[in-house]
Amino acid sequence: MKLKPEALKVIENVRTAPGHYRMRLASPRIARTAKPGQFVQITVGEDLDPLLPRPFSFLQTGPGWFDLLYQVVGRGTRILAGKKKGDALTVLGPLGRGWELPGAVRGQVTHVLAGGGVGIPPLYHWAETLVKKHKVPASRIRVFLGGRSKDFLHCEKAFAKLGVKPVCATDDGSKGFKGRITGVLEPFLSSRAASVPTAPVQIYTCGPTPMLKAVSALAAKYSVPAQVSVEEPMPCGFGVCLGCAIKVSDDKGGHRFALSCTEGPVFDACKVMWS
Amino acid sequence: MKPDLKVKIKNVTFPNPVLVASGTYGYAQEYERFYPVKQLGGIVTKTITLKPRIGNPPQRVVETPGGMLNAIGLQNVGAEKFVSDKLPYLRKLGIPVIVSVMGYSVEEFCAVVEALDGAPGIDGYEMNLSCPNVSYGTAAKAPVQTAAGASKASAQAPAKKPRMFAHSEALIEEVVGAVRKKTTKLLAAKLGPDVSDIGAMAQAVERGGADAVSLINTFTAMVIDLKTRRPVLANRTGGLSGPCVRPVAVRMVSDVFRAVRIPVIGMGGITSARDAAEFMIAGASLVQAGTINFMRPTACPEIIRDLKTFLTKEKVKRVTELTGSLRLE
Repeated sequence: MKLKPEALKVIENVRTAPGHYRMRLASPRIARTAKPGQFVQITVGEDLDPLLPRPFSFLQTGPGWFDLLYQVVGRGTRILAGKKKGDALTVLGPLGRGWELPGAVRGQVTHVLAGGGVGIPPLYHWAETLVKKHKVPASRIRVFLGGRSKDFLHCEKAFAKLGVKPVCATDDGSKGFKGRITGVLEPFLSSRAASVPTAPVQIYTCGPTPMLKAVSALAAKYSVPAQVSVEEPMPCGFGVCLGCAIKVSDDKGGHRFALSCTEGPVFDACKVMWS
Repeated sequence: MKPDLKVKIKNVTFPNPVLVASGTYGYAQEYERFYPVKQLGGIVTKTITLKPRIGNPPQRVVETPGGMLNAIGLQNVGAEKFVSDKLPYLRKLGIPVIVSVMGYSVEEFCAVVEALDGAPGIDGYEMNLSCPNVSYGTAAKAPVQTAAGASKASAQAPAKKPRMFAHSEALIEEVVGAVRKKTTKLLAAKLGPDVSDIGAMAQAVERGGADAVSLINTFTAMVIDLKTRRPVLANRTGGLSGPCVRPVAVRMVSDVFRAVRIPVIGMGGITSARDAAEFMIAGASLVQAGTINFMRPTACPEIIRDLKTFLTKEKVKRVTELTGSLRLE
């Protein structure tokens, strides 16, 4: 079957935090096929204004619907925030490659999810999938969340409901550790390295680029594999405009530019060459 | 009665006049997931260079009102891999395949066409004389393009070195003339809009012996980040495309149609059958849809369908009757 942009009905569009909204869209096909870490391209305006669609990762899927969580950052997301129940949006997806389960020693792995800001939704989707679909016990999942203040620790309660209570860090100290997410992630990794050095850990991270860089550096320091989900401007979302390139190592000691939309948005952290 | 959509240029018959613009359609197979690509009027591939290119560092794109800037830097698989990996799919489509080609010098332009010309399945070439995101005279493999370095082509140019072939009538005529000697296939040359007299540039294409002239490529443009006061794109400038350029492109096609005798291939911000018809009325024999393929991947079949409806409604029997039917009296 051919993939086509579809007009989808908005089921609800509710404010979840200052400047943040959760939108539920109706699509049994996308709900069935969406994988955590994948995304959809949404045409937010009419008559090609704004011109380019915007990429959003999945927060959750349910019977016949999927949710997105987004922040109002510009004209496109402002238009999106004004959408009401029953409005239609043109959506293309699911697109891209999402999170991957580590192959070997699957049962023994501790899955460490580190998310910041609107990077948290695809990690929640992954946590839910790990627990419900892959039957990973909640005790094998650790979640670290970062945000400006307690208002922006998205999905905190939803994670707790899954049985995975997040460890939080806020810039203003209004909840959890005062400072960056690495301030809570590093003590965890270092104590684990000291107590159970051979127990496998897999990190998954999504958030602002400086955070991805810092988490990747920690992963390298403690020799832990990490998957990073990057965000780049994405005019097409399906690998033709070549606009969403990121610099990655080419396995021959050099570099190449990989497309975030088709090769990613999830990449092996040790391949990404941060600028 | 169904309107006749066929357009013939040289020995190539295009089933309809709607092609896809270079750099917006990859190597075509990428669009098979959306619709059967064979319904297009023809394919213009991503620009092929002699050697593979990894392209420019990010950030490569930025949105603007009614358009976007890109500075991809001609990322492509190179002539050899194009022939071995991409052409087998393209030749099976049964529609004209026009390969966009580019070289950093006259010699390299000839070399890429020579490397491709023996391969089966290529119906013609569109010489990219006007990519705003690479500089001439730099090594084909270089990951980052710099303004330094002089090609033989630019050394022969008048006092001020042009940034691209398409900025100099003399260079256009020289490079088109040289490539003309290398192939008997349909040869088009693509002009950029950053010139004062587009008609004169098109005449140079005609003197060089090309069978058609394509226009427009993107406008060299810049967006600045006010906080950092740096250009948003790593390449500093990028090529502006999208609906915002369309009225300028239509005017230029109209100018060129009256300046040359060879067919004109028109493009620049086409998003609908209405836009395609507008370019044809201005003088285009064929049109190319570009940027719209990114945001509406199913746009081209819709344009072809709607163009048929338009012709039927207007009682136009042959699409070729539209070409140059602009009334100025």
